[in-house]
Amino acid sequence: MNETGSVLRVSGLRKSYGDAPVLHGVNLELPAGGVLGLVGLNGSGKTTTIECILGLQHFQQGDVSVLGVAPDALFRLRGDVVAIFDSPSVPSHLTVRQCLEHARRLCAHPLRSCAEVERMLGVEAYSRYRIRQLSLGNRRRVSIAQALLGEPRLILLDEPFNGLDAGGVDQVLALIADLNRASGTSFLLSSHQLPYLEQVCSHIAILHDGRIAANGELAGLLADAGSRVILESGDPEAARQLLGEDGRVEILELGPDGRLSLRLGDWRSDELAAHLVHHGVPVCELVRQRASLDGLFRELTAGEAA
Amino acid sequence: MNHLLAALRLELFLARYSLAAKITVLAPALVCLARYVLVWLNQAGDQARAGLLGADDFALAQSQNAYGHFVDGVNTGLMILALLLVAVAAHDFSSERDNGAIRHVLIRRAGRASIVLAKLLRLHLLGLLALALLGLAAWAGAAMFWDFGPVMEDGFELIGENEIRDEIHLGLLMAVVPLPAVIAFGMLVSVAAQSATQAVTLALGATLAMDIFKTLLGEDAWYLYATFHPSLLDQSYLREVARLVRGFSDVLVPDRFFVFNVWAPAIAALALAAVAVLLALRRSL
Repeated sequence: MNETGSVLRVSGLRKSYGDAPVLHGVNLELPAGGVLGLVGLNGSGKTTTIECILGLQHFQQGDVSVLGVAPDALFRLRGDVVAIFDSPSVPSHLTVRQCLEHARRLCAHPLRSCAEVERMLGVEAYSRYRIRQLSLGNRRRVSIAQALLGEPRLILLDEPFNGLDAGGVDQVLALIADLNRASGTSFLLSSHQLPYLEQVCSHIAILHDGRIAANGELAGLLADAGSRVILESGDPEAARQLLGEDGRVEILELGPDGRLSLRLGDWRSDELAAHLVHHGVPVCELVRQRASLDGLFRELTAGEAA
Repeated sequence: MNHLLAALRLELFLARYSLAAKITVLAPALVCLARYVLVWLNQAGDQARAGLLGADDFALAQSQNAYGHFVDGVNTGLMILALLLVAVAAHDFSSERDNGAIRHVLIRRAGRASIVLAKLLRLHLLGLLALALLGLAAWAGAAMFWDFGPVMEDGFELIGENEIRDEIHLGLLMAVVPLPAVIAFGMLVSVAAQSATQAVTLALGATLAMDIFKTLLGEDAWYLYATFHPSLLDQSYLREVARLVRGFSDVLVPDRFFVFNVWAPAIAALALAAVAVLLALRRSL
């Protein structure tokens, strides 16, 4: 941990592949005991950022400090930092048990036995199976199990939910929450599964076109984003004109179905309804939507999100 | 040093469960024994024919001396071992980079240089094991099918057993010296290649190409480590030893050959290993 109390600090990270820039000065900070979700569109630079943090890729500019250590010296921390990658990075000729025994040798101070982590991830029935005989989801479970043999202080997970069924996702989310609560383990999660991240993350960084578009505590970001109201009116064009002239309501979007998406600011929904009716604009439905990570992400990526 | 030892322990753990490692250790000895069986069957036929024709020439008598067969067996085994080592070395680093397994070691236990050095050490240990087994199998096999003894002609001892053993020792030493360079070449290709398939193809292709070109280079080939290990187009000293222990007296090898045999592969091994480490330090994993 560095003097600021953060387990991970990235500042001004720039990385290019040949002439093609990928990261344009990324800044990130993860406080000790935090769970940081790194989200972004495909090709936005999430995996590259993680690989630079782990010293797997060289970068052109910037500072990266992981538990006070430079990326190319992470091995000196002897297992305090663990990573799980988007493809299960395990030797395919080994059995599940052999693979975990290999991973156990990577730990300076193993905390759990191989059998224990097999049970935790529900792969004990496959103990004698070779990795290449397993489904993608079970390979993913094994790669997560590798991380749980010791007591890492920081775990980086790149697309941890890929290939997992609903039960597996719940299991992984519960594990992250348990480890974070019980051992104070910090996490950096990169994923497209925004609802899952919203369940476990304390902090969020949205990466867009190689730049951090938003960064901070999840609760704060959602509060800043404010609540949305969906207005269904008998005359959507009149409603849009009236609210546009008023200026106290921000019109986010006029959908193809004629629904208006609005941000109210200081207004309440009933005040909006009364205002519209007072000016002769019919109100069919007015629904308040809580701010979500998905909404915030779509807004910041300017509708590019699929 | 601790990181290197940790990486080596992990390498040895993986080698325990690797089929490629088992093949590398066993195949040279098995090929050597298979060669003995085929030669023995051939000889049985030749002897039967010679008995029928009443011929009993010098060559036929010498074919019963086990020393010649021992050298041939070791030579064949070493050729297979060199090819296996270059293929295994080429597959080693590149396959772990392909499946991502190398990343865990790099993040949690050892630096890039330690990982490459540990892999080189592990391959040398595999090579030593294979050599020991090959030597044992070649000696035991030769003793089973033929008899060890001096080279005789018309009842006179042409070459004594001590002289034969000295030559075999020298031949074996000269043939083993290039193996570290073979391993280091495979490792360099492994680190440089984009995939495991590319690495193995490239390493074996280049090894066979060196085999062809060394015959065209004359004495310039002495700068090439591949000149000195047994191969398909064999120019190693062990080939000459096989002739010498059969009583051929026209074996003339200049002293400079031995100097190059020792130094060229040693320098090549160090240079190739150093470049492999430097490349590993620079490339993305």
